[in-house]
Amino acid sequence: MIFAQERQQQQRFPRPEFESGYQTPTHQLLNQRGPMWEYADVAVLIAALSLTSWFAIKKRSRKGILWMSVFSLAYFGFYRQGCICSVGSVQNISLALFNNNYSVPLSAILFFIIPLIFALLYGRVFCAGVCPLGAIQELTGFRPVRIHKSVEAVLASIPFIYLGLSVLFAATQSQFIICRYDPFVGIFRLNAPFTMIIFGVLLLVAGIFVNRPYCRYLCPYGALQNIFSRFSGKHLTITPAECTNCRLCEECCPYDAILPSDDLKKTEPKEITRKRFILYLVLIPIMTIAGAILLYNLSPALSAVNSNVRLAREIRLEKEKGVPALSKSAAAFKESGKTEEQLFSEESVILGRFRKGTPWVGMFLGLSLGAGLFSMTIRKTRTEYKPDQGKCFSCGKCFEYCPIESKISK
Amino acid sequence: MKLSDKDIKILSGVSQVAAVFTLIVAVTMILGLIQLKVVNPLDSPSLALIKEQYDRDPSEKNIAEEVRAMDLLARRAYFSSRWQVETGSYLLIAGALIFVLTRRLIAGSEKPEPAFASEKPDIISQKKKYRVYLISAATIITVIAIISSFVLRGSLPETGVKIREAGQNTKEVKNAGTDALMAGSTNFPFFRGEGSRGIAGGTGYPVEWNGNDGKNIKWKIPVPGHGKNSPVIWGNKLFLTGIRAGTLEVYCIDKIKGEIIWTASASDFPGASKEIPDSDPEAGMAVPTAAVNGEVVCAIFGNGNLVCFDFDGKRLWAKNIGVPKSAYGYAASLLIYDKILIVQYDSDAKIAIKGFDLSSGDQKWETPRTGRPVWASPVLASLDGQTQVIINGNPNVSSYDPETGAELWSQPGLSGDVAPSPAVNSRFVYVVTDYAKLMALKPGKTGSEVWSDNTFTPDASSPVANDQFLFLTTGAGDAACYNAEKGDTLWSHVFDNPFYASPIICDDKLWMLDRSGIMYVASASGKFTLLAESPLGESSDSSPAFSDGRIYLRGKDNLYCIAKD
Amino acid sequence: MDYAQENRIVLNIYLLRMETGKNKYQSRRDFVRTAGKILVASPLLVLPVLLVKKTNVKGYVWQIDPYKCTQCGQCKTNCVLTPSASKCTHAFQMCGYCDLCGGFLRQGAKTISTAAENQLCPTGAIKRRFIEEPYFEYTIDEKLCDGCAKCVKGCGDFGNGSLYMQIRHDICVNCNECSIARTCPSNAVIRVPADKPYIRKT
Repeated sequence: MIFAQERQQQQRFPRPEFESGYQTPTHQLLNQRGPMWEYADVAVLIAALSLTSWFAIKKRSRKGILWMSVFSLAYFGFYRQGCICSVGSVQNISLALFNNNYSVPLSAILFFIIPLIFALLYGRVFCAGVCPLGAIQELTGFRPVRIHKSVEAVLASIPFIYLGLSVLFAATQSQFIICRYDPFVGIFRLNAPFTMIIFGVLLLVAGIFVNRPYCRYLCPYGALQNIFSRFSGKHLTITPAECTNCRLCEECCPYDAILPSDDLKKTEPKEITRKRFILYLVLIPIMTIAGAILLYNLSPALSAVNSNVRLAREIRLEKEKGVPALSKSAAAFKESGKTEEQLFSEESVILGRFRKGTPWVGMFLGLSLGAGLFSMTIRKTRTEYKPDQGKCFSCGKCFEYCPIESKISK
Repeated sequence: MKLSDKDIKILSGVSQVAAVFTLIVAVTMILGLIQLKVVNPLDSPSLALIKEQYDRDPSEKNIAEEVRAMDLLARRAYFSSRWQVETGSYLLIAGALIFVLTRRLIAGSEKPEPAFASEKPDIISQKKKYRVYLISAATIITVIAIISSFVLRGSLPETGVKIREAGQNTKEVKNAGTDALMAGSTNFPFFRGEGSRGIAGGTGYPVEWNGNDGKNIKWKIPVPGHGKNSPVIWGNKLFLTGIRAGTLEVYCIDKIKGEIIWTASASDFPGASKEIPDSDPEAGMAVPTAAVNGEVVCAIFGNGNLVCFDFDGKRLWAKNIGVPKSAYGYAASLLIYDKILIVQYDSDAKIAIKGFDLSSGDQKWETPRTGRPVWASPVLASLDGQTQVIINGNPNVSSYDPETGAELWSQPGLSGDVAPSPAVNSRFVYVVTDYAKLMALKPGKTGSEVWSDNTFTPDASSPVANDQFLFLTTGAGDAACYNAEKGDTLWSHVFDNPFYASPIICDDKLWMLDRSGIMYVASASGKFTLLAESPLGESSDSSPAFSDGRIYLRGKDNLYCIAKD
Repeated sequence: MDYAQENRIVLNIYLLRMETGKNKYQSRRDFVRTAGKILVASPLLVLPVLLVKKTNVKGYVWQIDPYKCTQCGQCKTNCVLTPSASKCTHAFQMCGYCDLCGGFLRQGAKTISTAAENQLCPTGAIKRRFIEEPYFEYTIDEKLCDGCAKCVKGCGDFGNGSLYMQIRHDICVNCNECSIARTCPSNAVIRVPADKPYIRKT
């Protein structure tokens, strides 16, 4: 055997003294494009948001919004390859908020905050024409099918859970699940693990019929946009003037985001409304507490998302039950010479963080559910058709259904 | 745009072709990706098998040929699937683009047909239905919450740590060396920071200040007692020790406001030594730096008085561990590991390392050392996966288990008056003293000297290392940087005044404080770049402390807090 | 009378009826809206204040710490890109220029030659060039390298450890969370400042 010698310490062979005048080559390692470019992205973001807002509210141009989608898909999607996006920035923010050893890039903060500010001013214009994930779905959704309202209601609660969990997992330094399960980033890069591409393509195919499936039933940043947009100062309107209740737009929204006017002939006794109002007001804190308890109790299960916790459990299982720990991390751990005590104490630290974080996530979820329920008791008499500001993506599809619109534009 | 029926027919034909094309490309691409990642031809078992066969019988020429052929085949398969994936992705996008475009055109030409439900939706009854759904969902969640508290609670693994303590525990885990060369940004628990390794965390520290005109000096307060020890910090509290009118004292100072929160005496407990043993007159009785963890602060003085206080200044325990007597007086600073206080005891009569229970003050272990007393301090390091206390002794460099005090290894080291503490990184231990040499040791029983040099040797200041560089400052006013791995001198520079304080690496910079109080800030790299030169306006021999963007310097008489204005 | 007309009439009656109570109703709604607006806007205002000390202007990129890396080979399979953005790098100034190279030759190789049966690199990405007796230079052809780290392990085990893994930032797409980092068993993939994107061995 040539390799008879044992593993020794490194630097076994001294650097030779060359006589032939050989020069040691220097290895060129190339850099990424300069960080200043990220601020150019921020400028493009602001410009795109402003333009989309103008198209949605002032110009009322569906075509304009569509072209914004094309631009954003090309720029933020294919050119910038989908990183960093506002959706993922949620995690950078929560990681930085709860951990001292990470400082968040300024561009990530801007990408997080600016679309929310626009949501507060003009509704979900970010979703309409700036988000590359939204854009790719907007452009491929050409055969809308409406789905049943109860299914819609159940699925629409997923983003809130997704948001809560992704903040929890990021804050506990466990994982960035939003990025891990980003369906379209692989398509933007034309290169990804095949599972990612399959997931993305399936979503797009489903999106031809059930438009924007990711935005509606998954996107955690969409949940934030939803909350902020509800309080937006100026929001897209279906009709440019007074609504005549012609009902032409009633079924046109693929996202079920149009609130019809009330049928004024059918009303409810005031007494019942008031009683329910009080009952549901009481229910909110109960749900909040229930959510907190539930998530707190789930924290050991949730903490398994953290790789250190998984490793500690694997090692403990081996130690106590004799199940051999064969994973690569287990092998690396054994090689590293780190003690089991260290690992277990790390596990308990992480578990401790989960116990601290889960009640807040539970409270958020309980509160959202309670608030959703409560909003259904509030008696608001609507005399016109208007968009549901939380759900409406400001895509402008309804414009062309409004007869007043076409009258004015003619 | 209105399209004729014929146009639509053509378009839908194109879109169908595009769809089929896209589908085929997608399937081949996915297969290619699977081939690259899951059943990589380069890892094919038959190739491995034939190589194995060749290893058994290398004289057989045919097998070698076969290996070559098989290898070529595998590589060809690998690179062709790589090509497939690369070109396939462009074809895929092109196909998909055509499909989407044609479908959009077709859909766009269709007039929007508002579909009416015959009856206007009845919102009240709809809302009623929703409420029922939501209430039942909420009830289910609540019920699960209640049940889960009974079911899951029982199976929760006991962590034994209360949640509030878990936060503090992070720091301890760090001390134990999960991330040996990183330090937290807030706490600076020992002499030269975490593990006494000379590395501090955090960013945003000012590099320029001036004690004479107050630039970037947040506050300045006189320290009541004289002492050469350095500040240590936990949370918002900073601790110093000193001697005032013959009384040994511990000071707790608010690190933000610069006010003394409490002063506690270390001379008034039963059994306290009142003796003032001979020492270097300049150094005095309060040379060792205190040690702090989240709950207690411990301090030791030149006469062997060892005291421990809680954060409110209540004395938890105190004892005298024997009056140490040596040429320059007692100098070793304290360390805390988990629940153990580690004391390096150096006296002409006896040298040892001792471990005390942090809560009771009972001695848990004592390990005698051999050789002559030294004036260096112990260092807590994580090497070869084990946390160890390392002592720069004369003549041996030795390592101890902080848990039991057992000696882990000992290697011949230096001679003479050894005063600089060791430096460690994740691979080596570095020791140095004046009139001897600087040496890098591979730790462990089988370890040995890796490299050595005697150009720059400090007499009091301790070296500091990360995985790339070793830095030191000397009593002759030199500063030097070595390649930590190989020992080449990467740079050196002569400053005007001697250095006693130890340099600290923090925020990618090297902070060197000379005896006249001038802080030289250089970049912690293999090239000498002096970033700033900031005078304190007062002489100083204490090492700087860093915490949350603030630098703390103890001058001869005053304590300074330096932060960006 | 069609539906829309009918509805308009009812609406007008309703509006008339409401006229008196309108102001109170309107102002209450406005109050709720304003309160809600302030409530959701306040986190946006507080966030920059909370993060002001934890902000970093230059940003981060991912890199492999060669001193922590255990050459498990997951860089090859776990990168979102195919082939992986992490590739073998050669620190020439650390290299011993050995004829018998642990990074180039397969363990168990019987002869020292560039024949396929002796090469360790599965893609043949390491080029061996004669310099002078007895020294050989080894360079990595990065186009061929697939980041399997076999040569890095070989060099670390038998040589000076001058071969090491680095993520190439001209290829890396800088995912928000590196998928190699998520699975790296020794936590060797870390965030580094974007202006110093490489951890070079020297």
